[in-house]
Amino acid sequence: MLSARVRTLLLGMGNPILTDDSVGVRLARDLARDLEGVPGLEVVPECSVGGLNLIEVLSGYDRVLIFDSVRTRGGRPGDWYRFTAGSLRETRNLRNVHDVNFATALALGRRLGHPLPPDEEIHVFAVEVEDDATFGERLSPALEEAYPEILGEVRRDALALLGAGPPS
Amino acid sequence: MAKKISIDPITRLEGHGKIAIFLDDAGGVEDCYFQIPELRGFERFVVGRPIEELPRIVTRICGVCPASHHMASAKAVDGCFGHQIAPLALKLRDLYYHAHYIHSHIAHFYALAAPDFVCGPDSDPATRNVLGVVAKVGLEIGGAVVRARAQAQKIQQIVGGRTTHLVWCLPGGVSKGIKKEELDAIRPMVDELYDFTQFSLKLFKDVVLGNPAYVDLILNGPYTLDVQQMGLVDENNAPNFYDGKVRVVDFQGNEICKYAPEEYTQNVAEHVEPWTYLKFPYLKKRGWKGFVEGIDSSIYCATPLARLNVADRMATPAAQEAYEEMFSTLGQKPCRALLAQHWARLVEMVFDAEMLRKYRDDPEITGDAFRVVPDRITGEGVGIVEAMRGTLTHHYTCDEKGVCTSANLIVGTTNNNAAIHMVTKKVAKAMIRPGAEPTQGILNMIEMAFRAFDPCFSCATHSLPGQMPLEVRIFKAGEPHREFRRGC
Repeated sequence: MLSARVRTLLLGMGNPILTDDSVGVRLARDLARDLEGVPGLEVVPECSVGGLNLIEVLSGYDRVLIFDSVRTRGGRPGDWYRFTAGSLRETRNLRNVHDVNFATALALGRRLGHPLPPDEEIHVFAVEVEDDATFGERLSPALEEAYPEILGEVRRDALALLGAGPPS
Repeated sequence: MAKKISIDPITRLEGHGKIAIFLDDAGGVEDCYFQIPELRGFERFVVGRPIEELPRIVTRICGVCPASHHMASAKAVDGCFGHQIAPLALKLRDLYYHAHYIHSHIAHFYALAAPDFVCGPDSDPATRNVLGVVAKVGLEIGGAVVRARAQAQKIQQIVGGRTTHLVWCLPGGVSKGIKKEELDAIRPMVDELYDFTQFSLKLFKDVVLGNPAYVDLILNGPYTLDVQQMGLVDENNAPNFYDGKVRVVDFQGNEICKYAPEEYTQNVAEHVEPWTYLKFPYLKKRGWKGFVEGIDSSIYCATPLARLNVADRMATPAAQEAYEEMFSTLGQKPCRALLAQHWARLVEMVFDAEMLRKYRDDPEITGDAFRVVPDRITGEGVGIVEAMRGTLTHHYTCDEKGVCTSANLIVGTTNNNAAIHMVTKKVAKAMIRPGAEPTQGILNMIEMAFRAFDPCFSCATHSLPGQMPLEVRIFKAGEPHREFRRGC
């Protein structure tokens, strides 16, 4: 299992009352129960800040597992993807309307000397969603149906990741 | 072998800003539409819930200005309980809110406005960002920016218990006060923040005002609108972000109206257009006159600059000095140059820091009478605050048991929807000339127009990629001609 010296953050991103946008929060909450007692693991199941705030959220950790929602062209609700922060290509050069994007925040934080995990230790689990613009406490039917399978697969990957030893 | 999958996030179906530009036969701009998404169903979502829960729910509407919604909601709920509120709670809420303002304004100025002025509006997009700013001004200043934001956030955490999803405001007050040791922790941060706001003001003067081309762009570029101005003011017509009356002046400085929150339905109405879900608020007594500029127009701006435009003075001395210098330099008050918003934000930050100092030195601030328990339900309340990006209105009704029966919100950016639409079109017309093929640079010049409003659309969603994608489509003779995309 993960060494206690390695600080790992499990982060659920999303809005718990915005239908499918809550899927990252739900995954983080469900996984937190499974992972209770894992040395060095801290859980923030609900995080809705972005941009520069993420510098502080991620500072001090060696490894981060982020659970979030995503919509892609042609994507089906329930599909999910796993990638690292190194895959966030292009976005560094662009700006959010109100705040900087994730890649820019990471780059700025590192340049300013904040102890952020390396890109390859920032693992993003992104679930394809259907409706993230309607207020509601339940997932859309399509995503709700797919959720148990998503949870099982994500749990398997997350456990494997945490059992893989400290980052090299 | 690993399978490579390229993810092309669109965030959500209508989830990105779309600018549709229609060219005439000669290649000039005939029309331009700015469309953005809107979250749905909030009013329905809250009906049937205990009214006192709403301030805790509304923080999820927006990840950028949750405290603004929390405060406006709390005030509306106070109204539903007969406006019974502990005087100390008003001070504490205001204290928190000024820290929140600084936190937000720093992000806008350094991450969003500064790249255009420090790096240049036509500089390489690859470096026209906060990293480019840091590269130009130095790591030390970059570190100071992050530190100041962190301090503003820490003050919010100490005062309100949390930084984002506040559960602090209750009917009649707040759930916790400030202990003496907490005030001692805040004390040095307040001084440091004050120094930082003064530094930011100086930086703006050196970098922006020191460059004649930028001053010309601000004052003489297409980024101006002759529309009316709105902002919350105190009894002396000084800006007040938490409380007061809404004052509206025309762009020549004549007062059009000044109304209490409860009178908002008599003064503001919302126009609907078939091409966008977002409504267009306008001055109701003037009637909807379309997307037109002019002294009789019913369109208004509710922005940092508008807040200073409607004010007769600032409530604190250093902010007053900065306010006078700004309008004196701009040579007009009200000022219609929208890029001056960035300067106005810095003046507001000075005001915020001075208010933090005022509350820090208030001997009553560590008192424990921070809540009264309301003893009656009156059934209706309107709460108005100035969100960083515009006047924010929450209006609720509840039944005799305190269960919400209706909710109506006019959020900060919505106030500016018509103005954003108009200036986007104006800038597009100025930048896209007949016979000249539009370039990628148009994206930034148009973005500068609406970015000045610090718009916040559907920011409650945090789906990847964590930025609002933008799409510019240019149509010629009704057919797609060119397309620019960013993050979508």
